[in-house]
Parts: sequence; C-alpha cells; structure tokens
Amino acid sequence: SALFTPFQGLLSILRKLKSTPDQEVRILLLGLDNGGKTTLLKQLASEDITHITPTQGFNIKSVQSQGFKLNVWDIGGQRKIRPYWRNYFENTDVLIYVIDSADRKRFEETGQELAELLDEEKLSGVPVLVFANKQDLLTAAPASEIAEGLNLHTIRDRVWQIQSCSALTGEGVQDGMNWVCKSVNAKRK
Amino acid sequence: MGCFFSKSRRKSPKKDSALPAGDESATGNDLLESSNGNQEAPKQYSWDKREKVDPKDFMLTGLKNETVGRLPGKLNGQQFVIQDCENCNIYVFDHSATITIDDCVNCRIMLGPVKGSVFFRDCKDIKCVVACQQFRTRDCKKMDVFLCCATQPIIESSTGMKFGCYQYYYPDLAFHFKDAGLSIFNNNWSNIHDFTPVSGETNWSLLPEDSVVLEYMPLPDPESEFKSVRISTEANRSIVPLTKGGRRTESDESCLFVFFAGDYTTANARKLIDETTTKGFVLIQTKEVSMRPEDVNRVFQNNAESLTEWITKGPVVALELNGDGVVEACRSIANEVFNGTKLFVSESKNTSSRDVDNFFNFADMQMGL
Repeated sequence: SALFTPFQGLLSILRKLKSTPDQEVRILLLGLDNGGKTTLLKQLASEDITHITPTQGFNIKSVQSQGFKLNVWDIGGQRKIRPYWRNYFENTDVLIYVIDSADRKRFEETGQELAELLDEEKLSGVPVLVFANKQDLLTAAPASEIAEGLNLHTIRDRVWQIQSCSALTGEGVQDGMNWVCKSVNAKRK
Repeated sequence: MGCFFSKSRRKSPKKDSALPAGDESATGNDLLESSNGNQEAPKQYSWDKREKVDPKDFMLTGLKNETVGRLPGKLNGQQFVIQDCENCNIYVFDHSATITIDDCVNCRIMLGPVKGSVFFRDCKDIKCVVACQQFRTRDCKKMDVFLCCATQPIIESSTGMKFGCYQYYYPDLAFHFKDAGLSIFNNNWSNIHDFTPVSGETNWSLLPEDSVVLEYMPLPDPESEFKSVRISTEANRSIVPLTKGGRRTESDESCLFVFFAGDYTTANARKLIDETTTKGFVLIQTKEVSMRPEDVNRVFQNNAESLTEWITKGPVVALELNGDGVVEACRSIANEVFNGTKLFVSESKNTSSRDVDNFFNFADMQMGL
C-alpha cells in the first residue's frame, strides 16, 4: 500500500543509525590459564587490575578504540575447559593469544594449543596477535625467542604479529591493539 | 637454531589461501605495511633497557633434603620459581610478584605475600603457608594449605587438597603484605572452586579447626640462615585474623561491625576481634573494600545519612561476628571501647543478618569482575 514504502524506508534508516555493524569488531582472547587474559581485558577497559579472580567461564567487555567498537571475549583457559573454546570461534574478526612469557615450563603446552587453534576451520584466515605477556617479570623470554619456539614464521594463511607487553603495567598493550585495528581495516577494505 | 616448543609440527598450511610472500620481520608477517615497506627500528620497552639479572638467582631447582629459601629483602617483589625439590623445607620470607611451584614432593613451603598468583603444578605431599592474590593448582595430590587468598582459590585435576586459615607471623610480614598489595582482611580461604569435580567424591576439604600450624610447617633449622627470623605460629599473633569462613557455626546470631577509614582502622579491628573472641564469640569473615556514596544506602539502608561522608576517606573494614548475644555485646563494645570512632554496628538481632547479607553480597560483587 502507499503507506508501506515510506515506513519501510524510515525503518531501514533507523536501523543504520542504531548500529553500524562495520565498526564492530569481535575479538577472541585465548591462551592458557594464568596467562593474563583477564588482566589484559581489564587494562583495555581502563579498569582496576589489582583484584582479578581466575576466570571460571568467560568475561566480555566492549571497548572503544580508534573508531571501532571492540567486543572482547575473554575465555577461561584451564585445560579442562579448553574444549569449550570452539563455542566462541564463529564470526571472530581477530584472535588474540596471550602467553605468559615467564612460565617456561609451559611453553610447549601453549605452543601446542596455539598450533591447534591455527588449524581450526572456523578460525581460518583470522588475523592473530600473540601477546608475549608478563615482560615485567624477571625470567620472561623475549618475544623473538617465543616467536621462534612457536614457529610463527611458518604461518602462511593469515596475517600475524607478536607483541611483547605487560598487561599489568599496560606497556606494549596499545601497540598490540594498534596492529589489531590495522588488521581489521585491511580485511574490510 | 632456537628451541622448538611444540612437539607436533603444524600441518602444512592451506595452499589455496596462502598469502603472497610479504616482508617478514621478527615480529610479524608485515603484510599490512605499504609496499615500499618502511621498516622502523624496533621499539624499546622498559624490559629491553633494564639491567639483566641471572634468572637462577630467583629459582630453586632440584634440591633434596635441604632447608632453603630467601631472607627478607632478598626477593623484593620479583618473580620466584621453585621446581623439582624433594623433602625440603622452603622459606620465602619476602614479598614477590608471582610464584610457580613444579614437580615438588614431600616439601614444606612457606611463601611470603605474593602480589599475583601462586600456581602449584604436579606436586605431591606438600604442606604450605601461602598468602596471595590468586591460588591455583593443577595435577596436585595431597596438599595441606594454610591460606590467605584475595580471590576464590581454584584447583584442577587435584585430589586430597585441604585448606585452613592462614596463621603466621614474622616481624616484616605486615610490611610484606602491604608491599604485595594484599589486605589481611580479604581472605577467601575456605570456598574453593574445583574445575574437575568428581561425583560422589570431594577433591578438597577443610583442615581440622584445631590444627597446629607448627606440625605442618616447622620452624627453620636453628643452624640455617633463617635462624634470625623471629617466627610465631600462635593464633593470637597471626598477621591475618583467623576466620571461621565456611565452617559451621553454633549460633544463628551474627552481627555486622564496620570501621570507616581512619588512622587506627587496622588496630581497631584487631582490638574488636580480641574483645569479642575473649568473650567466646566467633569471627566469621572480614572484608576491606572501598564504598561509593550510592553503595551506602543500599548496604546500610536506614542508617545511611551520616555514613555517606565517612566512606570517602578510604576503604572500610567490615567484620562478621557470630554467637548468641553477639549484637548486644558488639553494641556495648562500640560504646565503651570505641567511643568517638567512626563505625557502624548492627542495631538488633532482628536486623543484623540482613546487614551481614547486604554488606558481604555487596563486597563480593565489588570484588568480582
């Protein structure tokens, strides 16, 4: 009828104003338990990081960054609950993988988990940022050593970056997030 | 060159989505840079510039039948690593950033306040005294832990885990708690989260209430370097107040007592604990938490007006005391001992359990994510 068309037009304009899906970015934050994922999440949201509890399920926060709305999903990393990671893969724009650079005992384990993630169909082609976290700690291995141990240079099917940081102090975090925004821009061109 | 962490190599990458060979630096496959690839000099961070130390100075590895550890001032907030020790008495009398303990058997371990996490992996037959922000275990068996933990402790694939309230003193311990950013009033020692519960069994339980700490964590060998540290494991000297936590109580009557921030808040809280425990009342739990004006109304309800100003000075220290007649006793003590101190006490035993619930539910919310 004659009334329908202008109404439909109005609705579609309203929809566009309400949400700008191009500007929303879905970020998945994974890594072994005790790696610093939740500290990183709180740091990104400029919140207090002195009283963080081990994540039992997941945490989610929305953060504004460089014109994007980042929806960050921080999933618990205990061995027992890693099988649930796959429930969160769909529609991920960027994978952020957090490593405790000072926990040398678990380098092999974290390398294994990352390798498995990079083989996942639902994460195929998704840019990955590896945060070599806890650089504030004494025994922290430098990012270059971690990159070598993880064989990052053999990654051919997506863009990747390794960034040293301290989620606790915030140093290096913004540099990593700059790369994340760049990688989203590149993908959406 | 370099060590390859992962035992199983990645499968060969999907060829049809292979990207053109880009300009690969050590830190990324810089395919996002422009084609005339302006490579900047790698950025320098504080960890690149700091003085390099020998990691071995902050590790205890492969020791057997020894008394070892660190004296006050020797760690000074750094990371510490303990691994592959057997039948050792380990004393870390300093505050640290984080501590991991791997593959240790039959050890007694005392860890000074840890700012971050304490993580036990693959350990067996351990008796320990630990104060930390986070407590974690994986693949551990038979551990007795006297714990002060700021957040909910977690265990995974661990059995025979027993927990009691932290009970320890040495002269610098109070300072070490401050240095580690830990409050002696925030102790979740008795409610453990198990990531791998087994139906029909419990992987964890509470230590007997009358446990003697010395029988678990002995004093250091008098011939050792630790002989100068004046330790006490007496309940009334413990830096961390002893709380009943999740243990069953005899009485249904509880009282909320809140000290607002001031110069003597900690001393006042200890005095209250003293006065009430002497009279046979029981300390259930304590919390040190910041409040905002909007929280005051919700938590204290009818009594809110005067309190709103007091919460701006700093965090409050709240205590839940339990026993028949405890509310009346607390109100007396408030009048006689703490006249003039900014505080809140439950009005009557009809309203006190609501006070307790309101406050500690608020505190739990505040301290969760």
